[in-house]
Amino acid sequence: MIATLMFYLLGAVALGATVMAIIQRNPVYSVIYLVKSIFSLALIFYLLGAPMIAALQIIVYAGAIMVLFLFVIMMLEVTPTNAATRTAPGWFHWGPVLLLALTLVALTLMLIGLDPVSSEGVPRWHASPRDFGYTLFKEYALAVKIISFQLSFAAVGAFHVGMTERRRARQEDAS
Amino acid sequence: MDILLILILLLPLAGGVINACFGSRMPQPVPVFIACGAVIGSFLACLGSLTLAAGDGYRLVLFTWLKSGNFQADIGLLYDPLAAIMTLMVTGVASLIHLYAAGYMEDEPDQVRFFALLNLFVFAMLTIVLADNLLLLFLGWEGVGFCSYGLIGFWYRKTENADAGRKAFIVTRIGDLFFAVALLWLFALFGTISIEGINAQVSGLEVTTVTMISLLLLFGACGKSAQVPLMSWLADAMAGPTPVSALIHAATMVTAGVYLLCRMFPLVSLSSTAMAAIALVGIVTALYAATCALAQNEIKRVLAYSTMSQVGYMFLAVGLGSVSAAMFHLLTHAFFKALLFMTAGCLINLAGHENDIRRMGGMRQRSPLVFWLFLAGLLCLAGAPLTSGFFSKDLILATAFAHGDPFHLGLYGLGVMVAGLTSFYCFRLAYLVFAGDFRGDELPHEPSALMLWPLYPLAILGLTAGLLNLPHLFSGGSWLSGWLGRTQDVLHLSISIEYLLIGTAIAVFVLGWLLAALRYRKYSERQPSLVGEFLLNGWRVDDLFDLLLVRPFKKIGRFCSQGVEAGLIEGVLNGAARGCTDLGMRLRGLADGKVSAYLQGLVWGFVLIVGWFLLRALV
Amino acid sequence: MIVPMEHLLILATLLFALGLGCVLVRRNLIMILIGVEIMINSAGLVLVGASAFWQQVDGQIMVLILMAITAAEVAIGLALVVYLHQQKKSIDVGIFDEMRG
Repeated sequence: MIATLMFYLLGAVALGATVMAIIQRNPVYSVIYLVKSIFSLALIFYLLGAPMIAALQIIVYAGAIMVLFLFVIMMLEVTPTNAATRTAPGWFHWGPVLLLALTLVALTLMLIGLDPVSSEGVPRWHASPRDFGYTLFKEYALAVKIISFQLSFAAVGAFHVGMTERRRARQEDAS
Repeated sequence: MDILLILILLLPLAGGVINACFGSRMPQPVPVFIACGAVIGSFLACLGSLTLAAGDGYRLVLFTWLKSGNFQADIGLLYDPLAAIMTLMVTGVASLIHLYAAGYMEDEPDQVRFFALLNLFVFAMLTIVLADNLLLLFLGWEGVGFCSYGLIGFWYRKTENADAGRKAFIVTRIGDLFFAVALLWLFALFGTISIEGINAQVSGLEVTTVTMISLLLLFGACGKSAQVPLMSWLADAMAGPTPVSALIHAATMVTAGVYLLCRMFPLVSLSSTAMAAIALVGIVTALYAATCALAQNEIKRVLAYSTMSQVGYMFLAVGLGSVSAAMFHLLTHAFFKALLFMTAGCLINLAGHENDIRRMGGMRQRSPLVFWLFLAGLLCLAGAPLTSGFFSKDLILATAFAHGDPFHLGLYGLGVMVAGLTSFYCFRLAYLVFAGDFRGDELPHEPSALMLWPLYPLAILGLTAGLLNLPHLFSGGSWLSGWLGRTQDVLHLSISIEYLLIGTAIAVFVLGWLLAALRYRKYSERQPSLVGEFLLNGWRVDDLFDLLLVRPFKKIGRFCSQGVEAGLIEGVLNGAARGCTDLGMRLRGLADGKVSAYLQGLVWGFVLIVGWFLLRALV
Repeated sequence: MIVPMEHLLILATLLFALGLGCVLVRRNLIMILIGVEIMINSAGLVLVGASAFWQQVDGQIMVLILMAITAAEVAIGLALVVYLHQQKKSIDVGIFDEMRG
């Protein structure tokens, strides 16, 4: 019963934090609100019997990715003024997007409502980190390898793209 | 012995290739020496290997040329009596012509090209003669066509020379197409293209098939041999240098058709229809060309038409079933026609590079020697008694007579008539060129010694080659028929009929002479009559072809290019292109470079997909 | 039973729509990336919910893979943002319209 209440509470917090993250003009605040939303989602994951994922959500998302965002924002000195919102988006800009989002939500909700399975409850269940690890490294060993490759590629790519012009020229001279 | 046989082919090829590749870098007389040496060497090799050919002949496979499935074409030589006698003639006459050409082309700056082509021509002709399969023969056939194109158009800076070369090439190409069809058909039937293989298997064929293939072969032979209806190129081919006329249009290339029919004789002779067609083509050409020769004004054109006419006789002989008569006439004709062409070259030089016989005359005073040589050739051509032309022509006519049925008697009658016409135009030529006083105003240009002395052997051969196949009546042994292994060609007519035939031939010869003497002994300027004009233009066949083929073809071409190509195809294509451009110009407004607009499009697509799922769930 | 599956899906849908709106409306490149993060999070929510619903651990592993991909995407994406900022001294998407037709 408490879990159910917690779910709705956390869901509301997540939604609210996300809305706040979106409408902030300053990206730093956005990121902070997003961290709040991610924390709530992590708790929801815990409620849904995924403690491992909840922990990773906090470590990876909040701890790494969001910090990365903050680094970049601060490095580029993106302030509300030079974030280059040349004109504030008006209804002409918002209108179609709102319509689109609402249509999508309406359609999806109808789709959810039509499916009889979705009205069943989510049972109490708990996946221990041990089960998680066994499955990950036995059944999904190949996927783990592919993902590791993917991450190293991304690291190389980011390194390459992020190189400054001066350094790039120096490297080409050296080679 | 094998090496000699290979040398026959290889020497002219090597000479041609060396001259073509390095000739221009060598000092002046060397290419000529190479060219003449190659052909003379080939002739000697031919003499040396003659013993191989006796009996059934000798087959030498050098290597396999093409092989695909059960199709196999070898580079193989078939050296049988027929090929041997032809090889000997080709290399011998070609050697003399090469020597003559060395004198004739002395001042020509582009000698090397000439001799390279001449050598390659001899090589290609020998390939035809010696090939043991039809594909190799066809290779030589095409090679001959190509070389003659290059040689006829040798002085290509003048447009009409180049046009003549092109005409020769295209017209013979029409015949080649039919030959190629026949070749493929034969392969489809027998699974082999070996000449011996085909000839050994033909007896099992249906008569209709044989007739069709024979007619195709006949048409192919017509192209190369300038027979009706593909004859129009030969007279124009006189644009080439005189040695070329002598080599191509007298001795070798035009006889390739006759040779092909002789080669495939076991096949051709199975169909009486095809044989009749061959005889008919021969006699029609003989008649056509003889009448045309009556009115020609250029000395070489007269000779060209006479060549056509004589090759017509050879076709007639093949059509009558007498290979040895055809080969006999082919040989004697090669000798005296080469002689005539080369002497004509001397005469043209003597007259100061004047082709037109109306502007000659009195040439006997200018050079008695050339007069006697030319006369020897003319007598052979006209069929004067005891010359080679007399015997070979008489054999053909006698063979026609000996068949006895009305069709062949008709052929005989026409043949005799052509003989009369031949005699007439020969003496017309003689009187116009030699009698009276010189009518031109050019100074003579003395032919060099090198141009004269190859003529003696030819004159002797021309006058005496009749001994090769002397009939029994003259206590000869018909040696050529025996050598070719065709003793059935030897006629056994009663003495009285033989005398009658010979009497007729002599009478016709004398009649032609007398008429020509009557008309042309005294030269007078004549207004060209309507008939004369008609004959001068070769019965206006070129105009007829122009009307029937060239103009409709041009019309179709214009329709295709302007109507179909420019109008329909380009219209559709341009329209499609313009439509695409317009559409693109309109669509480019959509790509405004705004990322969010693109993403909105993406999401709208996503909405559609979700809507589709919803629809499926609802319905 | 904690909650009906429906509610979980509804929460995910709303989060997804919010992220989508962020991507489409905001012109700041960093905010667009943040919108993408929100959408990925909602997908993760559905995966975890499904994992619990069918009591299979596979869904959670999908979330782990999703996180790795997100990390890669963010690394490259932010590197690109830095690069573009070097080029034009701005991170307004409106400026990057070189592909206009």
